Amino acid sequence: MLRAPGEPLFAGGRRGRYTARAGCRYNRAVREQIVRGAGLVMAIAYASAITWTYVRQPYTVAQVTGGLAASVGAYRIDSQAFADGLAFFKQDKFVEARAAFARADPAERDAVTQFYAAYSHYRQGWGRVYSDDALFGEGLKRVDLAIALAPAGRLVVEDPALQMHSADELRAELEAGLRRDASDLNPLRVMRQRK
Amino acid sequence: MSAAREAFALPLIFLTIALFGGLDPAARDPWTAPSLFSLVLTVMVMAALVRSGTLAPERLIHGSRPVVANANGLIVHFSLFGASAQVLNMLTPRSGLPALLVGVVLFALLLNTLVMSPDRARLLRSFAVVTGSAFVLKFVMLASLADTEGGRTKRVLLALFDVATLGTISQAPLHPAAGYWAFMLVLLFLIGVALLPSAVYRYPTGLQPYSERALTRTE
Repeated sequence: MLRAPGEPLFAGGRRGRYTARAGCRYNRAVREQIVRGAGLVMAIAYASAITWTYVRQPYTVAQVTGGLAASVGAYRIDSQAFADGLAFFKQDKFVEARAAFARADPAERDAVTQFYAAYSHYRQGWGRVYSDDALFGEGLKRVDLAIALAPAGRLVVEDPALQMHSADELRAELEAGLRRDASDLNPLRVMRQRK
Repeated sequence: MSAAREAFALPLIFLTIALFGGLDPAARDPWTAPSLFSLVLTVMVMAALVRSGTLAPERLIHGSRPVVANANGLIVHFSLFGASAQVLNMLTPRSGLPALLVGVVLFALLLNTLVMSPDRARLLRSFAVVTGSAFVLKFVMLASLADTEGGRTKRVLLALFDVATLGTISQAPLHPAAGYWAFMLVLLFLIGVALLPSAVYRYPTGLQPYSERALTRTE
């Protein structure tokens, strides 16, 4: 339909024109509110992610993604890799076991996997005369991580192949191995058994 | 200033700087929080930004603005503070005499800027020069002294230099990508500062002679 010069765009004359302008202003105000609200949510989420990063100190991208997934309860370990690790562990192939555990839990967010990783450090580092401090030290770090990840810090693993079922026992054993005292000179130490 | 710039662009720029400014991939704990001294310097930076009119806080937080808009403004302020702290921390050498010297020089330069009360353009130029110089010192000059790669002659010369300066100059080696990363963040910081809502100025031409025209800030 052709429009005469000066004729309003909308039907209804001046009133229609005002209504259209008011509607345009309303839309712009609503759009601005939406943009501001979305920006606020984005900024708060981003700031929370930054705080999490500085507190947790993730080193790899897998740790970042795994940590964020764990925070919303969506993190799952690779069960096949965990089973492989367990099989290696039972055959006393500790290096291979740790590689499989690392593959199973790349973000280091699963308490049980970290417990087994710590146990592998213990068994590999244990000796009748002396223990390997480097392996025991790494094992202590892993078991501390496992305790931190476990609900209320309590972790019990019911595995008949193990002689220490709780993370607290394992931690005490690792700490005892790292300690230097007079009992280190006791010749009866060679009689003790690996747990 | 558009709502998108205030709600998205500025927080995104400054929060990205605040996040990655503390990244040190060569360290055992790769995410480093800013030092206390860099927080002191940041307060001076914020004061210089406001005094020069580069940042007009009343355009971000004001009683006449809606609550959401004020919340956006608050986020911009906090993120700017975090980004400034991380940039200053990133540009300061980690240890030894260079850390002390750069800290003192940055403090003196920012104090001088506060006393001079420059306008927006001069402040932006001043920031570019200060951050650029600190970048060259840490990521070009000191990094080349800490570079472990090179021939035997270079290593002997570096060892002699280390002995002559009693080990006070040399720094721990940086990650190969650290310089590129820092350059990008400094550039992003300067862009972010230039995008801040500035104070509006007018020339009161009718009141003052041409030669004595002063910039008067309108609230």
